[in-house]
Amino acid sequence: MSTKHSVTVTVNGKRYTREVAGNRTLLRFLREDLGLTGTKEGCGAGECGACTVILNGKAVNSCLVLAPEVDGATIETVEGEARNGKLSKLQEAFHRNHGVQCGFCTPGMLMSVKALLREHPKPTVDQIKEAIEGNFCRCTGYQQIIESVLDATGQLKPKKEELRRV
Amino acid sequence: MLHEFSYLAPRERNDLLQLLKKHAGQARLLAGGTDLLCEIRLGTDKPAFLLDVKHIPELQDIAWSERDGLSIGAAVTCLEIMRHPVIRKKFPLLAHAAGQIGSAQLRNRATIGGNLCTASPCADLGCSSLALGARVELASVRGTRVIPMKEFFTGVKQTQLQDDEIVQRVLYPPDAAGAAWGMEKLKRIKGHDLAVVSVAIARTAKWLRVGIGSCAPTPVVTADLAPPATVATVVAAARRVIAPIDDVRASREFRLFMVEEFIGRLMARLA
Repeated sequence: MSTKHSVTVTVNGKRYTREVAGNRTLLRFLREDLGLTGTKEGCGAGECGACTVILNGKAVNSCLVLAPEVDGATIETVEGEARNGKLSKLQEAFHRNHGVQCGFCTPGMLMSVKALLREHPKPTVDQIKEAIEGNFCRCTGYQQIIESVLDATGQLKPKKEELRRV
Repeated sequence: MLHEFSYLAPRERNDLLQLLKKHAGQARLLAGGTDLLCEIRLGTDKPAFLLDVKHIPELQDIAWSERDGLSIGAAVTCLEIMRHPVIRKKFPLLAHAAGQIGSAQLRNRATIGGNLCTASPCADLGCSSLALGARVELASVRGTRVIPMKEFFTGVKQTQLQDDEIVQRVLYPPDAAGAAWGMEKLKRIKGHDLAVVSVAIARTAKWLRVGIGSCAPTPVVTADLAPPATVATVVAAARRVIAPIDDVRASREFRLFMVEEFIGRLMARLA
């Protein structure tokens, strides 16, 4: 039996301390030890990005990080977006532009985009594509996701009326 | 689920080396974890101990001097390499190659030491570092040794590292600073993918070298060629060091073709 590690983290501004085994991934730590099930497991191998969270300011695949590695860290997850039942500006833009289809990739997409927007408040389409390169949307709704980000940053060009009403 | 192992995070280099010696053969070094944790999850690797190297200060350094060249600690991440002003200015090929690895999430974690120690034939920091004439500094309780990177790789996912050794630093010679460069990486998709073929060229007034990935059991490099070399000379030198195979990503013939194609493109760009 491997020894337990005491892990203290700040997730979405709230401090948590838990005892975990060395082989606990950050993803399972968030979902099962902290009950924050917004972050999803897709491939579990760093390919799909469904489990993306922001760790000390950087987007990472939480399936490829061990919980004991993040002792003392600051983590942001999708649960930190909406406040008092009100969607964040970014979530509203995803909602408005149909950036969500089945929704499984959305928590990870939001975190990758959030990390991008901190560095590039008005990202180009290429910068958006690069930032979400590691986030797979199997509904293939990439175009709407890119438009959502452009909208959230005030860069979406208005479309023809009939298209907007669909 | 990952199998049970003990996670240890030594704070000092000597503690790390002692632990590695004590658990030799049963321990794996954990840096970014982007390869290792996948292997553990798949069950292809079942170490009893994971030694986290990210708290060792010596492994986090990036240093440059005109006399000694560039030194990058093994636990430096791809993101740090991509953004480091000295690397961007003097070793732009390296900064570019670091940006070719995986996705943003992976580059934020993956390290140069990890990319080299995984020793995949497609390692983006392998072919590029080989073109730049890199050497690798290995350390154990027995001492340190420096070897050329081309001797470091010995086979598919095989290196010269002994059970008690770590890669401590990667060293780039001062004569490679400011080298003209070009790199092409063929992927199956535009998004993040492993190289089907990768070609990196570095050229100074004195030498031209081509590093090639995914075309042999290890990343490989040509002999030093005298610049300005003709495309035919460079292609012939490349053909001598590659031995591509058919696999899920491409056929041998296609790889041979793309190596020539990339060399032609890169040489035209460098001319």
